Amino acid sequence: MPQFFSNKRLVLLLVGMIFLVALISFSLRDRNHASLPEQLIKDVVGFGQTMFSKPTQYVTGIFNNVESLLNTYDENTRLKARLEDYATLQASVNDLQLENDELRKIIDKEENLRAFNPIQSTVIARNPDQWEEKIIIDKGEIHGVAVNMAVMTSQGLIGKVILTTPYTSTVELLSTQNPNYRVSAVIAGEQEVFGLIEGYDVERKELVLKRIDSEFEVKKGQKVTTSGLGGIFPKGILIGEVTEVTTDDYGLTQLAYVKPAASFSILDHVIISKRTINPVDGTDGGNTEADLTEGAGEES
Amino acid sequence: MIRYVVIIISVLLFYMEPIFGLFSPIELNEDFYVLVPRFLIIYLIFIAIYYDRKRAMLYGLIFGLLYDVFFIDIIGLYSFIFPLMCLVASFIVKFVHHHLLVATILTLLLVAAVEIILFLFYTSIGIKSLTFANFYQYNLIPTMIANGVFILMFGWLFKYILLNRFNQKLLLLQK
Repeated sequence: MPQFFSNKRLVLLLVGMIFLVALISFSLRDRNHASLPEQLIKDVVGFGQTMFSKPTQYVTGIFNNVESLLNTYDENTRLKARLEDYATLQASVNDLQLENDELRKIIDKEENLRAFNPIQSTVIARNPDQWEEKIIIDKGEIHGVAVNMAVMTSQGLIGKVILTTPYTSTVELLSTQNPNYRVSAVIAGEQEVFGLIEGYDVERKELVLKRIDSEFEVKKGQKVTTSGLGGIFPKGILIGEVTEVTTDDYGLTQLAYVKPAASFSILDHVIISKRTINPVDGTDGGNTEADLTEGAGEES
Repeated sequence: MIRYVVIIISVLLFYMEPIFGLFSPIELNEDFYVLVPRFLIIYLIFIAIYYDRKRAMLYGLIFGLLYDVFFIDIIGLYSFIFPLMCLVASFIVKFVHHHLLVATILTLLLVAAVEIILFLFYTSIGIKSLTFANFYQYNLIPTMIANGVFILMFGWLFKYILLNRFNQKLLLLQK
């Protein structure tokens, strides 16, 4: 025991502790930017990770295929019942789309909040200690991914990009407890009701939609989508469904619990939406109202 | 080939962890249970017990740093915990028998210690708000079970490989 705490070791231990605390506080302060060596490490590790996760996904894919093959009969009967509805729905959607395009042409409005370029991406890792809800995907700055872009699956919105390196990016999921995580949302009904997704209720496993004007009536079961007014996300990505409406802590606005449409547990393929209209750093991002278009800062 | 097998296994485990992380959380009766794969630290503790303490700490530092930079974005967290656990393991093992069962129990306890340190860290910096009871029920116990299964499956293999390597080195030294 005395040998363990010899003078030299004690000094070394103390210096180490001080260095450690300094390092932790330094890296905690600015977590949304990766310095050059960090980016390098991330890209190299990310490359190795891709090598490992691609074959695994192939194998899990086979298992999923077998599983869905076993469920084929059930699914088929259910799908057949819905197919007829689907055809009429498709026809009316096409019709409306055409009409929308024509009307846009008439008033000369080309830009659209809904339009976005999808970037297809594969999840290569989930933060294994799972203290934070993060996943790492195999597309980065080179492919056009930027911080704060919306990330979704075919089912709906799952999160946003919080950090990019040239070849990978880190996505923070909607189920995070980060208080600075906001998504500008809209409840689609007969009239559009706006609110902000702020926070996640761990007990209920539902998102909290705050700041809904109390004059509007919000009903259970209504669909919540992104509003496109947060500056970065495109409009119309499904977030979830309202399950309960109450007033907020101060009684001034309404608060709704939203059951997420997408499942956060097993993710493999995700889509990053790069919206075509100029992004602005609004509520979806850091709330600085700065124009995020490439080269916008240089002009002024 | 056998010279590099120790490091190759640690690289493999480092990359396997996040892939197993993709399967978690597991939903059972509408409750989500978080299983954290801790394969790398288990292996490093085995290295510390059966092979070489200094090497284990060095690997712990390097892989901890990679872990920090790639996943956590807080540098200094895992790169401190990994070597610390190796040090503690090698210190305790001086007083106990080197049997595989003892090693298994010791490793499991240290994995629990890692989880609890991380729980304290994350709740104190305010990234996660979680009561200890919930942490115990939904994170700690499932993680311990999952990692216990992992040690039962691969512990003997690790011991075999590391002891082989240890003896090989001893022979080289004697020559």
